[in-house]
Amino acid sequence: MTAIESGAINSSVEKRSLRNLWIWSAQHPAIFPLILIMLTCLTVGSLNPDFWQLANLFDILRASVVHGLFALGVLVVLASGGLDVSFTAIAAFVMYALTLFVVNVMPNLGILPIFSIAAIAGGGLGALNGMLVNCLRAPALIVTIGTQYILRGFLLTFVGTALFMNIPSSMSAFGKFSLITVTTESGLTVDLPLYFLVLVIAAAMTWWLLNNTLIGRAIFAVGRKPDIAERLGYRVKQVRVFVFAYAGMLAGVAGVLHVSSNRLANPFDLAGSELAVIAAVVLGGARITGGMGTVMGTMMGVVLITLVSNVLILVGIPSAWQTAILGAFILIAGLFFAQLDRLALK
Amino acid sequence: MLCAEYHQNDWPAAARPYLETRCLHKFYGGVHALKGVSLSIERERFYHLLGENGCGKSTLIKIISGAQPSSKGQLFVEGREMTGLDPIAALDAGIETVYQDLSLLPNLSVAENIGLSEQLVKHSGRLFHRLNHARMQETARLALEVVGLPTSRFFLSRQLETLPLASRQLVAIARAVASEAGLVIMDEPTTSLTKREVDNLITVIRRLQSKGAAVLFVTHKLDEAREIGGTGLVMRDGELVHECDVSDVTNAEIGYWMTGRQLEQGRYRDAQLHSTYSPLLKIKDLCLEEAYEKIDLSIGSGEILGITGLADSGRNELSLTLAGLAPAERGVVTLEGQTLDLSEPYCAIAAGIAYVPEDRLNEGLFLEKSISENITMAILERLRSRLGLVDRRRALQTAQKILEDLCIVAKDIHAPVSSLSGGNQQRVLIGRWLTTNPKLLILHGPTMGVDVGSKDIIYRFIQGLAEAGMGVLIVSDDLPELLQNCDRIVVMRNGCIYRTYEAESVNEETLYSAVVGAEAVPAYMEVEDHYDRY
Repeated sequence: MTAIESGAINSSVEKRSLRNLWIWSAQHPAIFPLILIMLTCLTVGSLNPDFWQLANLFDILRASVVHGLFALGVLVVLASGGLDVSFTAIAAFVMYALTLFVVNVMPNLGILPIFSIAAIAGGGLGALNGMLVNCLRAPALIVTIGTQYILRGFLLTFVGTALFMNIPSSMSAFGKFSLITVTTESGLTVDLPLYFLVLVIAAAMTWWLLNNTLIGRAIFAVGRKPDIAERLGYRVKQVRVFVFAYAGMLAGVAGVLHVSSNRLANPFDLAGSELAVIAAVVLGGARITGGMGTVMGTMMGVVLITLVSNVLILVGIPSAWQTAILGAFILIAGLFFAQLDRLALK
Repeated sequence: MLCAEYHQNDWPAAARPYLETRCLHKFYGGVHALKGVSLSIERERFYHLLGENGCGKSTLIKIISGAQPSSKGQLFVEGREMTGLDPIAALDAGIETVYQDLSLLPNLSVAENIGLSEQLVKHSGRLFHRLNHARMQETARLALEVVGLPTSRFFLSRQLETLPLASRQLVAIARAVASEAGLVIMDEPTTSLTKREVDNLITVIRRLQSKGAAVLFVTHKLDEAREIGGTGLVMRDGELVHECDVSDVTNAEIGYWMTGRQLEQGRYRDAQLHSTYSPLLKIKDLCLEEAYEKIDLSIGSGEILGITGLADSGRNELSLTLAGLAPAERGVVTLEGQTLDLSEPYCAIAAGIAYVPEDRLNEGLFLEKSISENITMAILERLRSRLGLVDRRRALQTAQKILEDLCIVAKDIHAPVSSLSGGNQQRVLIGRWLTTNPKLLILHGPTMGVDVGSKDIIYRFIQGLAEAGMGVLIVSDDLPELLQNCDRIVVMRNGCIYRTYEAESVNEETLYSAVVGAEAVPAYMEVEDHYDRY
């Protein structure tokens, strides 16, 4: 009897190859931003052959680092069913306060201790978000809007508002250090900075965490069905604190990177990029409702957004239009993923 | 008394039950939900936990599965005291609970749904550990084999929510297999399955039992319980009132134990008035592509008409059409001689048609809103005061009247409707539509997941409405329900009216074979396909 039963299920599974395609794409959402990236590149490249330069690729990769770190944090929070908009405030707070501290107190501190302090401070601030969400039982969006304003206000009131350029030497050296240097035919040297590796490491770590640890699977479980997850013995509150702490940690690191690469510390920086980062993560296939998303998709989403906002200028598309194109991409992504859900679940 | 007896009677080690509870009590605030439940469960046996909605069944289950602690009393697993266990400890002890929502994680893969619990238990719930993929796949593969699902790599990595409901159910059982459960608790496992899927499920559960597990069903379906066999545990009002062999007792006896009162067994319908109905609703040549065609039907004032058929027979779409939710492509519907425009739900409501949907949680009730708001939701227009605001006093009076009419047990009319038991929720929903004073009331599965006592109240009430001249249309799978309540029963098959029966002169067997048709097996296959969309 069961043999017949499983046979029936087997054959019905095999028959629906089109549906399997939808199911497959739902599990590999990186495909979607990748197609958009290729389309954008082909269009820009055919309009302006100058686009095909290593310098452009390096530019895009370099410009993706800070947003990419933010996006990995947002991915983890979104996957757990939460939403975080405080990461830019955490990054700004950590970068400015830490830079100020290092410059004034221990100017010879190496880059590794600086990163460690940034990660711990960011993680602590993030964990605070998680605890607030747990004990207030409030939506994460509201809580993080609140902490975002508080952090920013605290930073500007008590820490400082002045932009300063004399950042610690270890930070500026790290920002300048090149990973790959290439001299082009026209004699220009272009380089990919070492700090790009930070994003690569963070992405690999996030991927490993989400796919190969119990906490990773718990994040997805809690993200979709918190009540069932709790019943099955997953510690939902622990998961929440963890995801916000993780996002905060990445934000802290991103803040230090931002200072290192720009060689100045400005407390007004980074604010306002929250929505672009969340958009990148959603473009990469994470659902705003939780329980879905991949590292690969997220990275593609970040590259796509950086591409559109940095490179379209090459073909003479005015920046106002870039915003519109970005908006159109986000709409298409929303439509595509909603449709995909419908097709895969039909 | 009972408790004292248990204390004296210490089990000899050999005959020790798998699970034993002694005098479990549970208080929710001031509510005494469990009043000293003592029971013992032995391996390789079936148990059926029976009782009305709100009798404490789910509380008992939650305590045994570790979802909630008991307020007083003890719990033993294999002779070891495990009082106050948490979900991980319960899983570790071998207690697997499959709630109505199957306790599966829809966005994780089949393999993860089966194999993650094992690893979670291994690390006692601590999350900062590596996931052993190979182990998980292997566990899942072995368990899937037992329940007869495919074990291919594709299937293992498939996201759970892309599976049809019946397969998901089997995945839930596979998880129990994987954890080598000593006790599997299943909360109304067959509610939305077809007969054939139920049969398959029972086969698999028997296999589980033969591997040494006890299975505890929480169920309303007495006939199914009898078919499976085992011990019936009847609860009433927070107490375990009766233990019996389910195959030895009649529905009436169980009904008596559950409610404490004698329930009417025969027909509710007193069909003397049959010929005197004046025509109310007439349907002529109604068609809707891919749903039904050429439907000709009439309902009289005061008549109760039943419609049944398989899920894809077109009966659901027909009732939706009458409610204005699925406009027909062709045909005419007249109510008291007036041709109706059924293009929108509000047209149907304005014309005097009320539709009570089957899925009260998702389609019917506003769960977080209060009882009184839920009742008056459909008539806010009529409750408008001169200033255009809702007249709260009148709204409250209306709601109060409905509570009395339908014997809804609610402590506070302002409490959210989600605080009521299933039977009372259903009555609130029916009550809402009665406030619109409909001429025709359409009830879709009016007693789905409702206990015997509530059924009795709902049936009596429906009869009262018909007596007062309302036309009632019941769309249902529950054949005894139709036989007990209707004047005529229409059987639909493949989108057409197959036959109309006089409810008084037809029996369940005839009706059943009319529903499934001579070609019973292919018909079921179609239903399975239909369920694929879940």
